[in-house]
Amino acid sequence: MTDAFLIALGGVTEPYTLLLMAVATFAGIVAAAIPGFTITMAIVLTLPLTFAMPPMQGIAVMLSVYVGGLSGGLFSAALLGIPGTPSSVATTFDAFPMARQGNPGKALSLGLFASFIGSIISIIVLIVAAPPLALLAVKLGPWEYFALIVFALTIIASLVGDSLIRGLIAGLIGIGIATIGPDPLMGRERFTFGYEILTAGVPFLVVLIGMYAMSQLLSELESKGGTNQSSGTLISGDMRPHLLQTVKDIILKPVNVIRSSLIGVFIGAVPGAGSSISNLLAYDQAKRASKHPETFGKGEPQGVVASESGNSSTVGGSMIPLIALGIPGSPADAVLMAAIMVHGISIGPRLILDYPDLVYSMFIAMAIASIFMLFIGVILMRAFLRLLNVPKYIVVPVVLACCAIGTYTLNNRLSDLYLLACIGTVGYLLKKLDYPLAPLVLGVVLGPIAETNLRRAFQTSADWTLFFTRPISALLLALAVISIVYSIYSYMKQRRLLAQRLGATPE
Amino acid sequence: MERRSSEAALIPVLQMLSYLVISLGALFMAFKAGSLPASRWEPMSAGTFPQIIFFSIAALCGLAVIAEIVKHGLPRTSLKHAWHKLIALKTVIINLVLFIAYMIAMPVAGFIVSTFTYLLIAQLYLAPRQLITLLIAVAVAILFSAGPYYLFSEVFSIYLPRARW
Repeated sequence: MTDAFLIALGGVTEPYTLLLMAVATFAGIVAAAIPGFTITMAIVLTLPLTFAMPPMQGIAVMLSVYVGGLSGGLFSAALLGIPGTPSSVATTFDAFPMARQGNPGKALSLGLFASFIGSIISIIVLIVAAPPLALLAVKLGPWEYFALIVFALTIIASLVGDSLIRGLIAGLIGIGIATIGPDPLMGRERFTFGYEILTAGVPFLVVLIGMYAMSQLLSELESKGGTNQSSGTLISGDMRPHLLQTVKDIILKPVNVIRSSLIGVFIGAVPGAGSSISNLLAYDQAKRASKHPETFGKGEPQGVVASESGNSSTVGGSMIPLIALGIPGSPADAVLMAAIMVHGISIGPRLILDYPDLVYSMFIAMAIASIFMLFIGVILMRAFLRLLNVPKYIVVPVVLACCAIGTYTLNNRLSDLYLLACIGTVGYLLKKLDYPLAPLVLGVVLGPIAETNLRRAFQTSADWTLFFTRPISALLLALAVISIVYSIYSYMKQRRLLAQRLGATPE
Repeated sequence: MERRSSEAALIPVLQMLSYLVISLGALFMAFKAGSLPASRWEPMSAGTFPQIIFFSIAALCGLAVIAEIVKHGLPRTSLKHAWHKLIALKTVIINLVLFIAYMIAMPVAGFIVSTFTYLLIAQLYLAPRQLITLLIAVAVAILFSAGPYYLFSEVFSIYLPRARW
């Protein structure tokens, strides 16, 4: 164990790796700061650049983009009042008023320091939780694994989007797409219809780039504000970070930052529920617990701290199921999973046993990236102001071209470009029709794992009741049913409340 | 049951259409999966899992249609509203067409030429008509067409498509 840790520490702290990580953290912050450019897009576009790197270095670079990206949304939230990514929606509530009151530097440094603390707390939880969970997961049979994936998909479908049915349909479409090509156990060709383009199956990353990046970018062009401006007017004022005051503000009120970070870790660990939910939940809890909730929304420092520590701490949480179970909880985690698999390393509970040095390097890389994020954010605060002004007419075409580069370099196949165009168009249509895309993308990743385990279970025993009689499998399937029932119940409740409110509104 | 206005019913109408298309596609795929040969080595053949998935998709689509009709009745919209919505998406559609043309052109024209042309046209279409934006668009198109090509070939030894002429 010590050997593996030292190998990991040596690998990550090589000067060249550190330099790449610093650049990647900067790139992550910039990407997330530009409205319309999401963290997932940044990670996807970084992937081809890591192909030529050793696995440890490649993963460290990807994680740096992830960590940087989780705090980058803060800049547009504080200075423009527009969340750069969905994970910084709650940050706008207080960081923007604080910046408008003439303290943009303080708002940014508060957010950056809270993000740093949140990331570190989440990494500590990850280090404590992932290894024992992985040891437990090694003992799971195919019945439990299949049930776990069913549970993960139902949770994702019920948490993302407005409609549970469309979420489930999207998840199943994703699994259906994954069945094209060779079957995962025997390699029998399925649904290729004689087209060579489909013989190897539909690459998951092409689906992810098409569904997520392309559809999001095209949606950006719909905005009424035109494509010349990325935003509104930038806030100006005192850009000094007031570090000492910031540290004091956070350290002297540790309960808020710890509570928000733990919320972030927990939400991050639940598949489908990522930083876009955790920042709002952490903010809400901070407001409820505050002795002066009326100050929230008017530039309250604790609001900024809650939101930013709540979103940044999801990084450690979301890595728990990925490292311990081999199940990505979000599209960004799925790209990280692909980045590891590109180097011939299989993801699953055995990852931590077979490649402990790689897993330790992930922990170390996240911690170092958090430090980079804090320093780069504070030092280059003024420079980020300029970057926020990049107009959409540059961002959208350039990122679309980068999507094409990323797609081509995955397998050096021109046919993947045609697939990208088709999948991107379908993704945009589905998005317009209100189908959530996260379940679809994760369905493509989780589908083959589900099928492999289902078929292995039946190879071991033809008795299907084992899914319901083995305790862990039964528990997970019961949780899957509960998540669906609860989702339907909350929808009905919301409708009833809405009807009551409409009924109470005078004509 | 609360009925929607013609304008508000546009998306539900399109959603109903999507349920129909998806369920028909899923039923076709389930039928194709059923024709895959059975395995001698395992109780589940290569087609069983896809069959379960595609039948489930079709069933959920049916359920979604029933739920929509029970809640709001059969949604009705007019072609006029659909046309207005389509016109409002003109920028998106033109950009999508440009991107598809770029994907088709890349294998023939090569990465540098196709990317430069795509970036220039897309930016000029989106940007306001000013000399400065023209200069910016040209600079960005050169930077992001030649830049990645040489970065990938020189640093990562990955060669982006070359022109076929």
